[in-house]
Amino acid sequence: MAGFLREVYGIAYADLAFLKRNIVTTLISSLVSPILYLIAFGYGMRAGDTEAGVSYIAYVVPGIVAISSMTAGFSSTAQKILIQRLFHSSFDEMVLSSVRISSIVVGKSVIGMVRGLMGTSIMLAIGCLLTPELILSAPLILSVVFCCFTFALLGVMAGLLVDSTPTLNMVTSLVILPMTFMCGTLFSIDSLPDFAGKILWALPLTHSSQLIRSFALGHGLEWVSLLVLSIYAAAFFAIDHYIIRNQKY
Amino acid sequence: MEGIIVADGIVKRFGDLVAVDNVSLSIKKGEIFGFLGPNGAGKTTTIRMLTTMSRPDSGTVRISGKDVYGDYRSARQSIGVIQQLNSLEKDITVRENIKHHALMKGIPSKEIKGRTEEMTEVMGLGDHLDKLVRNLSGGWKKRASIVCSIIHRPRILFMDEPTAGLDTQSRNALWKLIRKLNASGTTIFMTTHYISEAEALCDRVGIVNKGKLVALGTKEDLKKTVGRFAVESVDAAGDTEVRYFENRTDAKGYSDGIDDGRSVTIRAVSLEDVFLELTGRRI
Repeated sequence: MAGFLREVYGIAYADLAFLKRNIVTTLISSLVSPILYLIAFGYGMRAGDTEAGVSYIAYVVPGIVAISSMTAGFSSTAQKILIQRLFHSSFDEMVLSSVRISSIVVGKSVIGMVRGLMGTSIMLAIGCLLTPELILSAPLILSVVFCCFTFALLGVMAGLLVDSTPTLNMVTSLVILPMTFMCGTLFSIDSLPDFAGKILWALPLTHSSQLIRSFALGHGLEWVSLLVLSIYAAAFFAIDHYIIRNQKY
Repeated sequence: MEGIIVADGIVKRFGDLVAVDNVSLSIKKGEIFGFLGPNGAGKTTTIRMLTTMSRPDSGTVRISGKDVYGDYRSARQSIGVIQQLNSLEKDITVRENIKHHALMKGIPSKEIKGRTEEMTEVMGLGDHLDKLVRNLSGGWKKRASIVCSIIHRPRILFMDEPTAGLDTQSRNALWKLIRKLNASGTTIFMTTHYISEAEALCDRVGIVNKGKLVALGTKEDLKKTVGRFAVESVDAAGDTEVRYFENRTDAKGYSDGIDDGRSVTIRAVSLEDVFLELTGRRI
């Protein structure tokens, strides 16, 4: 295990060194969109209580945290790998080192987790200041880390498979953007027609949102969401591993 | 005795194009082997298969007797690879790049600083350690890249066009380093399309053209297949004709017989002549 963690650190080191050097700009850019979501959806559009019996602010903040975990986890990982593969040729160096392929997959996800945590932790802190209904807890933080990790694994897949920046932008527009608004983050999927609700239920952000919201509101663990998200994470990991092992990138 | 690197009938296709066509090689421990050919001949594709970066469609590659695709981690531990394109992380410093590579290659943390100092002193990189890679010139980037590739002290070093794009000063420095690494026991496999580089550095040379290995041997043996002296005559239109001879007397006799105004040069046979004889074109 220590050897595996050491390899993960070795793979992640370059990304973390870059992040350390650019911490202020990264932090600012990580916070802009969640704060805009909070202003637009938390104050601009809705007020009062939701059907769930909590204020809309308490409802929407965990949703925005879930969105941030997805966008930061996915984008920072996918963009980094794309650049390292196509423009810096440095991804080959990781493959050429003698580390396990699983260490490469997890190591490349680390930057997505860290970037995700940077934005979401501040959002959670702001949320707790805005409403006493939100409860900061260790399981909540762990669930955010897990969500960031899952979407970072999806980002690894995208970074390995796409062959240009426009293609990555297209994937973001077709996959990430619709999930952002539709997956129970800003409003409940129960308010949608039944068939749409069923489709959206199958998407990972719906379960990130439910898992984070459940802990944030003190409702305990949403087992089903954790299970579905775990299946997604395992599937993404297995696909990433297969792509690198069989050099399908 | 089996070579330290053995490729047996490796083939790589990209659609209808056969980029590497049934190439077999055996590289001896401790030698500098040059893989010589024009651009697009299949050199980089071959080196990618030898270094586990690309799986052959057929054929096998063994390093120190082990199949590289059966035991890729063991193979990767024993090799260093300097890619044709600079493969450093551009937005972090040289020191951070070296640490990144050292960690990935399993060097204990307490040894990283010492090795970094040792290697950067050899490469004269000391003043550039804390500069961002993107701010370095091509020559310094290449040196930094070499340090990253040999930080784990590999027994075999693969270099893909190591001096492409470098100025003369950087190229000479790199040649000196290649000789030094080889003298310390490192087996070197390098691709190049520079005849002078193969002539200056390599013990043995493989000549590749259109994916096929067309010649393999020591520089002297390969040249002997053509002759010892070349008479090169150039007419007014700039067309060149080359004839080869076993001794200078015959070469001189032939050149003296040319009296139609062409400019004539007698010179020693080079690897370029070998390539020309084998393929009908120059590198």
